[in-house]
Amino acid sequence: MHAGNPANPMTEIRNFCIIAHIDHGKSTLADRLLERTGAITERDMQAQILDDMDLERERGITIKSHAIKMDYERPSGEKVIFNLIDTPGHVDFAYEVSRALKACEGALLVVDAAQGVEAQTISTLYQAIDQDLEIVPVLNKIDLPGADVEGVGQQIVDLIGCDHEDILHVSGKTGEGVDELLEAVVKRIPAPGRENDKPLRALIFDSIFNTYRGSIVYVRVMQGTLHKGEGIRFMATNKEYDAEEIGYLKLKQEKTDKLEAGEVGYVIGSVKSLEDARVGDTLTTIKNAAQEPIPGYKEPQPMVFSGIYPTQSDDFENLRSALEKLQLNDASLTYQPETSKALGFGFRAGFLGLLHMEIVQERLDREFDIDIITTVPNVEYEVHKTERGEQKKVIVDNPSAMPDPSKVDAVYEPYIKASIITPSDYIGPVMKLCQERRGIYVNQLHMQSQRVEITYELPMAEVVFDFYDRLKSGTRGYASLDYEFLEYRKGDLVRLDILLNGEPVDALSSIVHRDNAYELGRKLCKKLKELIPQHQFQIPVQASIGSNVIARETVRALRKDVTAKCYGGDISRKRKLLEKQKEGKKRMKQVGTVEVPQEAFLAVLSMDDDQ
Amino acid sequence: MSGIYLHIPFCKQACSYCDFYFVTRQELREQYVERLLQEIRNYRDTDYTEEPVQTIYFGGGTPSRLGVKQIDAILAELQRVFNVQASEITLEMNPDDVTADYLSGLKQAGLTRASMGVQSFQPELLEFMHRAHNRDEALQCLELLSASKFQSFTADLIYGNPNQTAEQLARDIDLLLQFDPPHISAYSLTVEPRTRLGKQVELGRINPPEDDIVADQFALLNEQLKPHGIHRYEVSNYSKPGMEAVHNSSYWSHENYLGLGPGAHSFWWDEKPRRWQNVADINHYCSSEDVAGETEQLSMQELAEERIMMGLRTKKGITETELKSRYGYSLNEKQWGYLQKKQDEGRLTLKGSDFALTETGLVIADAIILDLITLH
Repeated sequence: MHAGNPANPMTEIRNFCIIAHIDHGKSTLADRLLERTGAITERDMQAQILDDMDLERERGITIKSHAIKMDYERPSGEKVIFNLIDTPGHVDFAYEVSRALKACEGALLVVDAAQGVEAQTISTLYQAIDQDLEIVPVLNKIDLPGADVEGVGQQIVDLIGCDHEDILHVSGKTGEGVDELLEAVVKRIPAPGRENDKPLRALIFDSIFNTYRGSIVYVRVMQGTLHKGEGIRFMATNKEYDAEEIGYLKLKQEKTDKLEAGEVGYVIGSVKSLEDARVGDTLTTIKNAAQEPIPGYKEPQPMVFSGIYPTQSDDFENLRSALEKLQLNDASLTYQPETSKALGFGFRAGFLGLLHMEIVQERLDREFDIDIITTVPNVEYEVHKTERGEQKKVIVDNPSAMPDPSKVDAVYEPYIKASIITPSDYIGPVMKLCQERRGIYVNQLHMQSQRVEITYELPMAEVVFDFYDRLKSGTRGYASLDYEFLEYRKGDLVRLDILLNGEPVDALSSIVHRDNAYELGRKLCKKLKELIPQHQFQIPVQASIGSNVIARETVRALRKDVTAKCYGGDISRKRKLLEKQKEGKKRMKQVGTVEVPQEAFLAVLSMDDDQ
Repeated sequence: MSGIYLHIPFCKQACSYCDFYFVTRQELREQYVERLLQEIRNYRDTDYTEEPVQTIYFGGGTPSRLGVKQIDAILAELQRVFNVQASEITLEMNPDDVTADYLSGLKQAGLTRASMGVQSFQPELLEFMHRAHNRDEALQCLELLSASKFQSFTADLIYGNPNQTAEQLARDIDLLLQFDPPHISAYSLTVEPRTRLGKQVELGRINPPEDDIVADQFALLNEQLKPHGIHRYEVSNYSKPGMEAVHNSSYWSHENYLGLGPGAHSFWWDEKPRRWQNVADINHYCSSEDVAGETEQLSMQELAEERIMMGLRTKKGITETELKSRYGYSLNEKQWGYLQKKQDEGRLTLKGSDFALTETGLVIADAIILDLITLH
């Protein structure tokens, strides 16, 4: 069934993604597909080729989506173009996932035959089903001795209502079943629409920033044709550029003259930086522009906020330019300048979640080599207050901006609905953790193979701390978590302040539930006492709510700090030690007269270590 | 002016705290002395021999493991090769090696100063330190020493030992004062990682004392010695006026010195200031032609920081004039402000461009040095 001139048949296309939980072998399987289709040779095979950011490879999770074009030759000799669009694999990046799915007609649901279905997989799967994607169920890692093909197969059948025969059995490692999988992609996943003559609508599912080339936008052409050199417009931002270079996403970029409906490729604009390109936006041509964008575009919604400050105050401008560059290929990062009494000039940044925050911090350190101090992450609060008899609502994303308790009528905090899937042996620890974090039990559903889905409503603030780590350690790594925003709810919340040497340190303030404030204050003082080095004077460390001091510790003054001997060989040794100490000292932040190490600003996160 | 240090690596037994290079095998002594004489001869007619040698120091190890004849031979060889005009020749000795004959032999060989490793008079502390001598040997030896009429002598003490009380230290000082020593070195116990003590601390079997206790003992030493006309002139060194150790003081003011023997350090500042260490291995020393390890070139900035570090450990302190003229290092405004602040706190005295730490400054000298250097 070929459209157009039979002598020059339009090659068939299949656009699809892989839905899989972390560690379920998505990357290995993707590598195998690339190899079989000749997209890469054994020689340039670098394990797990799609995750090309260092960080991603280290953590084994995909942070940004990528795409790659493959030329598949069927056993019949017919040629089919595959575009594999990789999706991020973490709850923080749910929106990016939804846009990547939109660019596909089908999805491979890859489930580890030994591990079974996980929470993350389910939520992405439901999104895919919502978007009418054809689901091709795949049981992966069937070569593993612990593979439970029968049981996990049943989980898949229950989940998507397919037949057992529909499930493909594959091993990404040995390559078993991969040929059948390639054929299934052609046979089961629908071809995209090929309406080349309509006005252009291309979905931006990713954009990356390249130091030499500026922003590179990855698009899926939904309808119409984009020609090289044409004037283009981003419909959400209404910014216009020329499509200076367009091409396909092979292992290396491959230039072309046009991208037609159904195709996937990249666009590089006439201006180096396409900062107006937002993931999820629609790209159209200036001439014969589309009337309506592809529906579903959303501005990224940060959920977690934290202060980012340069350790050295003269690094402020470097930090600003680093954040600007990061934002170019991470539009979900938001930031605005803020000033802290303790830390000086810096930024308040908003992140999709805690992982996203960690990634940004690490990239600042690795890619830009800027020494930063980050403050304890917090969520956004709604504060209701009465001013001159008038009710007002303010949004607070920084604990130090929380108004005085006497002026506050009520504080509302975001709640999420968390879904946790765990082996039934760990129901106890999971529920205990949720209760400790002020969770409200909703229900639990027993699934196949001794697994349970537990649903809780939890204050978002309780999850941003170390919930995920605790969940993992409490279930030996078996539990998986997914969540969605629920609503704002009223809470008995107070601002907990920390004073060093009598001076409040705004960057150490946090918003906590009143019932937890005393214990938290006590622990925080204790931890800070450990982290702050001895000075030549004594330093009181206090926790307070308003003017009420609720906990106190003292960092005692240095009594003795002198090397006994300094002869012959000791001199070099001592000088080298001094140089090391000098470097360490430079990394500390001077807060009033007190030198505070970077870790201290995240003390609240490491308190559970002592338990 | 320069100094010569000779490292004599032989010890009867390993003291628990010591991380200097030493061996407990005594049979290599003859061979070692031969090789040492050879190392001295290797300097013949080099630039190193042009400067007059002002001090010679036998350190260890335990130099008193060598006989008078061997010391004599070494000194004679030094005389032949170097331009020796020594005003101070010191030898470290342990009480268990010393006899009246030994001391008079050394005196005849030209020694001017004896350094006695007493460490303590308390039997339990000597045992803890794993010293080879006992209390009576230490007392007898000091008796001999004070009668021997060396130009000067010194005794080492170690304080701040685990469980050591201020009273115990006070008794050690009193006993030592009976012999009217012109000089005392008192070191607070330092836990070095590669020692028996270090291992035991690491394993949690021994807890070093709290800083408060050591700080009190640091102050006690000065208070107790002062009435006897013995004053602290460096963190760990005390003397009667004019009896300061010349050789050790030269380390702190960047005078040139050559270190001979395995593990010995040398510092030489002609066009290129540098420091090097001989390989710390007696077998290597006795069997190899070239015994010097890697040479470290020192920048003016590094030297200036060293000078501040060492100078602030002395009562004499430093002058900015010297930092400028010798090292091209000027103190900036922040540093002057810091010195002023420390003066206000009573930890430092500042007179014109001269500054020195007071007793309360010396006890936290490392912190102050670090602050001052970081501000540059």
